Amino acid sequence: MSKDFDRSMWSLMADNLPHRAGKIAAVDRGRSVTYAELAAEAGCIADWLGARGIRPGDRVIVHLRKGIDEVAAMFGAWKMGAVVVNVNIRWTPAQLAYVARDSRARAVILPRNVLDALTGENALPEGTAYLVQGKAEGLVQGADPWAAPAADRASAPDECDPRGLAMIIYTSGSTGAPKGVMLSHRNIRVGAISVAQYLKLDESDRLLSVLPYSFDAGLNQLTTMMLTGGTVVHQPLTMPAEIIRMAAAEAVTGIAGVPPLWNQIVRLLAGRPTALPALRRITNTGGKIPPNILELLPQVFPGADIYLMYGLTEAFRSTYLPPERFAAKMGSIGQQIPNARVFAIKHGEGIAGPGEQGELVHAGPLVSMGYWEKPEITTQKIRPCPELAHILGDEPVVWSGDLVRVDDDGDMWFVSRMDEMIKTLGFRLSPTEVEDAISQSGLVSDVVAFGVEDADLGQAVHAVVSYLPQGDETALAAHCARAMPHYMRPQRHHTWQGMMPRTASGKLDRPAIISAVKASLDN
Amino acid sequence: MSFGKDELIRYISNDLNIDTAPEGGTELFSSGILDSVAMVGLISFVEQQAGVRVQPGDVTLENFDTVDAILAYVQSLE
Repeated sequence: MSKDFDRSMWSLMADNLPHRAGKIAAVDRGRSVTYAELAAEAGCIADWLGARGIRPGDRVIVHLRKGIDEVAAMFGAWKMGAVVVNVNIRWTPAQLAYVARDSRARAVILPRNVLDALTGENALPEGTAYLVQGKAEGLVQGADPWAAPAADRASAPDECDPRGLAMIIYTSGSTGAPKGVMLSHRNIRVGAISVAQYLKLDESDRLLSVLPYSFDAGLNQLTTMMLTGGTVVHQPLTMPAEIIRMAAAEAVTGIAGVPPLWNQIVRLLAGRPTALPALRRITNTGGKIPPNILELLPQVFPGADIYLMYGLTEAFRSTYLPPERFAAKMGSIGQQIPNARVFAIKHGEGIAGPGEQGELVHAGPLVSMGYWEKPEITTQKIRPCPELAHILGDEPVVWSGDLVRVDDDGDMWFVSRMDEMIKTLGFRLSPTEVEDAISQSGLVSDVVAFGVEDADLGQAVHAVVSYLPQGDETALAAHCARAMPHYMRPQRHHTWQGMMPRTASGKLDRPAIISAVKASLDN
Repeated sequence: MSFGKDELIRYISNDLNIDTAPEGGTELFSSGILDSVAMVGLISFVEQQAGVRVQPGDVTLENFDTVDAILAYVQSLE
């Protein structure tokens, strides 16, 4: 494994060729490729892009189902120096068209049914090059079938600047249109080096990839395996029973998930234990796992190390809690990962000390290049931190907008998004605290707490829940009265029928859930 | 309650917005025609229409990947 930060994304994969050409790099259901075969498939796509007039620096959209073809398309674009824009396959044609226009993409690699939907107001500019997975007959002009790039001409890779733009990750924020976060080759490579180090990954590892490659934490399963010469095992289905079946059948050594997924997997395994003898570690990111689920993790994954992690797209990955501390600090996000510098800042005062709260800020080589063609919001989000001037000078940091509490050992605990804090009866209340207390009842599968403007209270606490079969409103109200201080108890419990909506990365779509409930209040 | 092959195919084609109506043996999830978000809707449709309760451990490709498989699974519960 090369510790050199300044190498291209193509090298991340191709550095395996001299001594691991015949090793399995990636596995799909029913298909696998060696590093040599992956490089050849990527080479074909690079040649196709070149033949269609794509130049280094041009944006290439990859919009494919999780799998080997998707990985080959990304490395193909990187080989010829293009910028990868991976748009989650679950996004709609309208969202895809928005991203294509916003990034001024010159090529789009996508399935046939999506291409056929890019008509009318979702049509892309003439001259866009398409490489199409699926049925080849009757393709529109400008679209080439998957088989078009016939053979890898093994052309030399573009010698790109490792500090230049490699990828744009579009995130759908709570308000407004999606924004593109710009990552350099170096950002992504340092992310792989740092994470591989603390997760203790090596070439014997086989990581299960469930989270999308359009999501920074999901991309990391791929990049860490390419860095270490391991194998990535693709599971495009997020059905818990299929995830566990594949983990067992493929002898995976690591599973990465987000809280709603762990929620489902733990409930499944608690009722039907499954031995996963090859499993060395599980990792969580993208939010806090409810406490009742956290407690079950060591039981359903005996012998596996449990890593709780935190990251934000604008700084790729930020903190983790070492597994040795899991039992003592269940729920903490720990401290900065290798190569990152992460602090909690009390605005206008300084660094938050033990027992204090502050905004999480992140400095160092993982800090992204900012938002694509949005310099104003880039300088709001990524700017120097006066409270750290004595340490960092005027080096810019990412202001996360997340409030964390620091404990006596310096470990951090997520409190809330700063703009979601509930102000009720003169208290500043974290929705996470309310959600944790409600989850402890064991009556609900999902819960979201939020504040609603209220003339008497400032804000009233509301909670929307999906009940488990054994749960109902009377039982939950009784639990809250027993387990929660008065000011924290929701004034109203709303019932969500069925499963709450998820984002394309699998996290609870809090803004959508909250606005749906608020809309029903107004009626 | 009416739950049969026609209702199921109609639900999948209309409510889940699939261009070509699936046949009994069309692979829905392993082929990528449907994704896990559609799975949530499909499960509640099956539960409501057939009056059954689907256990988390039963949500597998074996039971849900084709219309025929879903019908066989529901029958096994009744």
